[in-house]
Amino acid sequence: MKKKVIGLIDGQSGNIGSINKAIKDIIKGRPYQLKIIKSHFNYASFDKIILPGQGAYATLMSNLKKLKIIQPLKKYLENNSSYLGICVGMQILSDWGYEDKTTRGLGIISGDIKKFRNNKLIIPHMGWNTINLNKDDTIITNSFDKKDFYFVHSYIFQNIKKSDVLAFTLYGQKFPSIVKKGNIYGVQFHPEKSHKHGLNLIKNYILKS
Amino acid sequence: MLKTRIIPCLDVIKNKVVKGVNFKNIKVMGNAVEMAKYYSLSGADELCMLDINASYQNRKTFIKTVESIAKVINIPLTVGGGVSDLSDITDLLNAGADKVSINSAAVKNPKLIRQASLRHGSQCIVVAIDGKRHKNKMKVVIKGGREITKNELITWAKQVQSLGAGEILMTSMDTDGVQNGFDSNMLKKVTSNVSIPVIASGGVGSLEHFYLGYLTKSTGLLAASVFHSRKYNIKIVKKYLSSKGVPVRL
Repeated sequence: MKKKVIGLIDGQSGNIGSINKAIKDIIKGRPYQLKIIKSHFNYASFDKIILPGQGAYATLMSNLKKLKIIQPLKKYLENNSSYLGICVGMQILSDWGYEDKTTRGLGIISGDIKKFRNNKLIIPHMGWNTINLNKDDTIITNSFDKKDFYFVHSYIFQNIKKSDVLAFTLYGQKFPSIVKKGNIYGVQFHPEKSHKHGLNLIKNYILKS
Repeated sequence: MLKTRIIPCLDVIKNKVVKGVNFKNIKVMGNAVEMAKYYSLSGADELCMLDINASYQNRKTFIKTVESIAKVINIPLTVGGGVSDLSDITDLLNAGADKVSINSAAVKNPKLIRQASLRHGSQCIVVAIDGKRHKNKMKVVIKGGREITKNELITWAKQVQSLGAGEILMTSMDTDGVQNGFDSNMLKKVTSNVSIPVIASGGVGSLEHFYLGYLTKSTGLLAASVFHSRKYNIKIVKKYLSSKGVPVRL
């Protein structure tokens, strides 16, 4: 049987160690293989791509540009291929990011990444918070509804279509904690740091899609 | 709703968790990797580990311990102690730390905070501040409280925020190690003057102390002895806090 190929993009935006290990544990003994993407790649040779990210939107976009990853990644996403973006890896699916400087994103899910509106909030939004599912999903199933995940971010997805928001979280305001369009998923939290529910989410993404 | 984080802290020498009041009578509490695993499984929201004897020889073993711990837990890991420059920060992040805490080095060279947060992002730079009352003023101290700096506590807390720290780990040297409760007064002064998260540290001895810590608007509550001695486990602390109406991850 042909093995499914999972690509893990190392956008030099934070440590990929935890997510790398989580994926390896999940696919052990199963017909999958994991490849780390660090440069231009053939988008047709991957069944799934995961992009974790930390830090600033502009930094991740410029890293991906330097590594020549933007073009194949855009093609991959425009084909509606399976994708999981984590934190900034989710945010860059948007049209524009407004962190540090205005930066064009991948333009896959329409909307912008802007700072939390309430200036009395403790920022970054750091710690465990609850996700509320808007609808049932084959991967992010009802079992994840009202569960806590680990967040650390100061910017959120805004001006997004309601239909692209799979789950929301409350922190001074409602904001999208999971976005989804076709086979493309983005999570604002860090499933790789979110103990068992986080690992189950990664597991579902890999095995159920 | 954002949950208040319960954070066990491991004071580590090489690969052992130790306990000692003011570095005297140091006692081995257990193996660092085993204890980290236990806390992660039993509901800790984050883990903090500090190299309390960061000599050149011990450092290598400590870094290996960080690597081993990062492999067995899947909650965030903050590592500090003996961080003196950018390369120390990079080494710890590469070893698997999610956040690095800087203390004395930041006091000596505040620019380090800016450089580190620009390079790695504010979210992974924690500034640990040790505070102590001195001649009716709250001052920043270093070297475990033995050296009082010229920095006034609140001014310094505001400064580390503007330099790009993502979080403050606030320890009161007036209450640390004596288990009479957090320094509520000092913590409230800090939380009301900054807008980044503050972790309260130093002094937990009872369940009520955790609740009083929550009331200071600290979003993380750090404790060591009460957990290492098995006086309380994390579930008991969280159940108690929940019964008092504090949002926690159960």
